[in-house]
Amino acid sequence: MLAAILAAGFAVGATYALIGVTYNIMFSASRVMSFTAGQLGMAGGVLGALFINRLGLPILPGFILALAGCALIGLVTEIVAVRPVLKALDQHLYVLSTLAFALMIQTFTAIEWSTEPQPFPRLLGIGEGGPLDEKFWLPVVACAATIIGLELLYRRTLVGRAFLAIAEDNFAARALGLPERNLRMASFALAGAVGGLAGFAGGELLLAFFANGATLNFFGFVPVALGGLGNNRGAVIGGLALGVFQQAANFLMGGVVAGVAVFVVFIIVLLVAPQGLFGAPAARRV
Amino acid sequence: MSLTRRALVRASAATLALPAIIRSARAAAEPIRVGWLATFTGPLSSPTIGFDRGVKWAVEQVNGSGGVNGRMIEVISRDTQGDPTKAVNATQDVISRQKVHAIFGPVNSGELLATTPIMARARMPSLVAGVVNSLIDPVKYPNAFRVTPSNAQWDDAVRNYCQNIMKVKKVAITADATGYGTSAHDDSVASFKKAGLEVVYDAVIDPAQPDVTPDMLRAKNAGAEVMVSWTVSAGMAARMMNARAALNWDVPIAGHPALGTGEIGKLVDKPEYWEKVYQVGYRSCSYGPDGKLPKPNQDFVDSVKGKFPLADTSLWWIASGVDAIRLISEAVAKTGSSDSDKIIGYWNTLQMWPGLYGHYSFTPQEHNGFLGSDVVMSKANTQRDGAFDLAPGYV
Repeated sequence: MLAAILAAGFAVGATYALIGVTYNIMFSASRVMSFTAGQLGMAGGVLGALFINRLGLPILPGFILALAGCALIGLVTEIVAVRPVLKALDQHLYVLSTLAFALMIQTFTAIEWSTEPQPFPRLLGIGEGGPLDEKFWLPVVACAATIIGLELLYRRTLVGRAFLAIAEDNFAARALGLPERNLRMASFALAGAVGGLAGFAGGELLLAFFANGATLNFFGFVPVALGGLGNNRGAVIGGLALGVFQQAANFLMGGVVAGVAVFVVFIIVLLVAPQGLFGAPAARRV
Repeated sequence: MSLTRRALVRASAATLALPAIIRSARAAAEPIRVGWLATFTGPLSSPTIGFDRGVKWAVEQVNGSGGVNGRMIEVISRDTQGDPTKAVNATQDVISRQKVHAIFGPVNSGELLATTPIMARARMPSLVAGVVNSLIDPVKYPNAFRVTPSNAQWDDAVRNYCQNIMKVKKVAITADATGYGTSAHDDSVASFKKAGLEVVYDAVIDPAQPDVTPDMLRAKNAGAEVMVSWTVSAGMAARMMNARAALNWDVPIAGHPALGTGEIGKLVDKPEYWEKVYQVGYRSCSYGPDGKLPKPNQDFVDSVKGKFPLADTSLWWIASGVDAIRLISEAVAKTGSSDSDKIIGYWNTLQMWPGLYGHYSFTPQEHNGFLGSDVVMSKANTQRDGAFDLAPGYV
């Protein structure tokens, strides 16, 4: 029983964490909370099922194409929904533009794909549905690989350091000659791929369903708030904690009551630590 | 020429009667207009595909044999897109502008809740294909006649199967967190308890919940001998079946007709996980032990095979469409009129009217016309030609 709760909790939590990381990557590059993050997760699952199940591609090309498709969506998000509102960040127009674009992605998927959940391919064929089934550990592996990959990218490569530079101070980065716009576009493409990975790795659990985007948008935002905006490690810990708590609440209370319990705890945490459990209080120049 | 008083009276009477005679003659020649309001497009359109095939087939049959007393049936279709606002507009259009004589539809309860009072104000004879109990009230809506089972009858079928055929005592009841699911959950828990069964676990579950193992575990630990499920979500139903298999739990699942939808077959991890799942079905559309449908329906299926597809929809939706047109045309044929009061009056006299979908009986006091014993349980994974095998235990 405990194994079942933990397995499902970590799997769902890792998926939420990856969506949280997607939020963070887009935010770091643009200071914009892009509410397309959940749709990127949904697109990862739908494109995976499209390429592998419907078009019959082998798993690896299907996986690469799904991630490439999501990276493209990330890129288009930057061009269509983010760039036009960057000059008016203080008016928070990005909330409207990214939500509108997210709705467009969802509606397009519903029309062109299906309004019913569709099966996601069995990727490795490991496990028989028990706690060690691949559908439970694949999202965790994907999450771990993403965090390690991002750490290596940010700390060991010049491009990664350039990402950090524009995240830290994009005016200074531009003054140093860094191509801020190109780096921001690359960040959104990277965020698209990470969001797509969340949906692909969690596809066996979430299925290829157009409505997953809204759920992931919502629950993927919680780890960001819990872990501190821009803090990927915080998002992972927050996501895993959320997933396990959600499953435990489902078991202990059941039904929609469990969803309420999750948000009660979330609000209490934010009341105690408004900057998130792992975020530093924001300093303001006076 | 002299005009006598008698001739003057006769001429006046003839003049006064002339419009009525013309109206009567015109009415005898005009088509019988049937408003057919349904969700032709959008995510809720799958039932309409079946209903519409039945409606078109029945109209072809009536018109092909010369119509009703020489009057052709003209179907005026409107797409409500599953949207109550559009359904209201369509209802007002067919009543006020198209001057229909009767209405079939809309075909989901949410739209019907919005349109039923409008039809009642116009005293429009209407055939209701929705399960929500409150749609039928012969005092408020004397014009509305239900030609499908009510929610309570679905619940009765599931409960009778659990109690009298499976002989279980402890049940778990789950439903999805939609308006329909919440209401079905409450009604079902109350009726199972009233019947003396022990509801050991009940929950309303978010249909987007990625894993339902915790709910299944709780039901298992509580000792449930059957899982009753009221959900239209194929994803949630398939997750329950997958979780049941992962827990090595051999509990039967019984409930909503959506448990037999073909989407579930694609979503279960293995085909055998769909075994021991029983959905609400209908005796008229269920294969008996001999692999045959009841004779009228077998004859119908044999006659339409190849003319339109049966495998991609439910036979009962098609049958319901056929019955709706037959009920309207028979009312006009028997009363010789398409007046609202005549049609409503005729329907109020029907007793065990043998439709393709089921038997209907109406009185001025009871407009839930579907015969309860026609609602049975079917094996969910046995669909062929839109019909299912009877669940084990029926004779």
